[in-house]
Amino acid sequence: MRRLLVLPTSRAGWGLLIAFLTLIAMGTWPMIGWVNRATLVLGLPLIVVWSYLVIFSCVVVMLIGNRIVERDNHE
Amino acid sequence: MNSLWPLLITLIYVAIAMMIGLRARGGQASRANMNSLEEWGVAGRSMGPVTLYLLIAAGSVSAYTFMGAPGWAYSKGVAVFYVAIYLAYLALIAWYFGPKVWQFGAEFGHVTQASAIADRYQSPALGALASLVMAVGSIAYAVLQTVGSAYILFVMSGGIIPVWLGVVLVLASIAVYLYASGQRAIGRTNAFQGVLMLVVAWTVGLWAVHSATGGLSFSAVFERIQSEHAAFLTLPGASGDMSFSFWTTSIIVSMFSFMPPVWTQWMSASSARTIRRSATWLPTYYVVILPMVIVGFIGIYSLPDLARADTVALEYAMQHLPVVLVGLLGAGTLAASMSSSEPFIHSVSLSLSKDVLQPLLKLSNATTGRLARLMILPIMALVIAPLAIAEPGSLVMILLVGLGFASQVLPAFIGMFFWPRASRLGVMAGIVAGFLVTVAFTTLWPHPLGIHAGFWGLIINLPIFVGVSLVTPATQADVVERFFRIAAPRGLTRLGKKAAP
Repeated sequence: MRRLLVLPTSRAGWGLLIAFLTLIAMGTWPMIGWVNRATLVLGLPLIVVWSYLVIFSCVVVMLIGNRIVERDNHE
Repeated sequence: MNSLWPLLITLIYVAIAMMIGLRARGGQASRANMNSLEEWGVAGRSMGPVTLYLLIAAGSVSAYTFMGAPGWAYSKGVAVFYVAIYLAYLALIAWYFGPKVWQFGAEFGHVTQASAIADRYQSPALGALASLVMAVGSIAYAVLQTVGSAYILFVMSGGIIPVWLGVVLVLASIAVYLYASGQRAIGRTNAFQGVLMLVVAWTVGLWAVHSATGGLSFSAVFERIQSEHAAFLTLPGASGDMSFSFWTTSIIVSMFSFMPPVWTQWMSASSARTIRRSATWLPTYYVVILPMVIVGFIGIYSLPDLARADTVALEYAMQHLPVVLVGLLGAGTLAASMSSSEPFIHSVSLSLSKDVLQPLLKLSNATTGRLARLMILPIMALVIAPLAIAEPGSLVMILLVGLGFASQVLPAFIGMFFWPRASRLGVMAGIVAGFLVTVAFTTLWPHPLGIHAGFWGLIINLPIFVGVSLVTPATQADVVERFFRIAAPRGLTRLGKKAAP
């Protein structure tokens, strides 16, 4: 039992895990350092625009996740 | 302030919230037994996706959004957006874990987080420990929100309602509907408060931009900040204390702080699918933060000498906005603090009754249900009200330590969702070690190397948890099996190979 772990069991599951980890990487260092500039995009600071890009990307990934979970028909 | 309109609008909000809270047990719910843990605690697991969306959203958006966030923008700048990012990540957490927690609750009868921990590790003592220490952070949080509520009433009344009376008024209002309708009241009032906050934040934000720039575009505000105060547009911020490492570790620690009211909210859903649907759209709510933060940025150049940064939105509104909007801002801020404090008060009462007093005094479920409902009164009258009125200076410290502990309970959840070998002693050892490190790095040597104290706690906690788990007895196999039938419906993985569920 000591080596048993819960991990994704399908390609879609692995894809979703990678997408979740990418989202977390997008909002943290080092990626947040790449957008840490005092420039304005659409009238807002770059880091603010990036933050909302991360936030709305979370919605998109979860929408895709819903399709995968409901297609596979399990909770 | 000379006008009575702001106070009137704020009091009308309180009256509406009370009415909604009391009516929450109407209809089908009126026939439900509010003395049962299932009804009072988790609303009979009945909440639909829209109510759940607003319940979680309003619960997570505290008075911080209307006072603290503009204050952070005013004193630090864009560093404040770490909050928006971690709130979105909390939605990812809810999406993955929420449906599983709901299934645990529905199948095994859990109504609190601590009862799930006690069941997984077959240890009422571990459940009670988790309940008691989580209660410290929860009560500190509820007290801070109550202080915020009383402050709003004080300002809106022009000083007529002193802080002590504001504390009594706010807690009495919450007590009436929380006792009567429990989690159903929290669901309905949070739904109302969630919509109100969104409307108020955008109305106040756009009006403030218009009064400051003559237009409705945020760009004029930021162009001025860019030319005069560029440090506010990047990390580490104008005060220089939000390094990349503190930004990153604060997000990670906050993300893994599974606070008990959130579990109760997940378990109140009508189905696992409902939680997933609500969580999916949850990040969209956090557009509520943007307009209030803009008011903080406007304050940088229009109110340069404020003594308290977290009063920037209120000060700006009182100096530049119509009295009706000042009243709406008061109502919105009060909504934010009430919607955040009531789930914590409810959760502490529920968990102390279910996870501490029931096993200790060998109470029946019926007696525990009645006790949980009554327990809100002494918690409010004897703990929250005196602390809120006294406003001890160490309150924020208590909260930080409490939240630091919340993240240290992570091993308990790793053993519940990912690693069947996790043992009771491994979890306890990890929590105690992580908690001690977090306390030391919060109080004695705050955040060494610019890394969040809770993150240091996890660095020590997790290896100890794994090591002690491997050398101490695992939880009995049938218990582990029933948990992992839900946590891993397609089976576990052994070194790259699939094992039987």
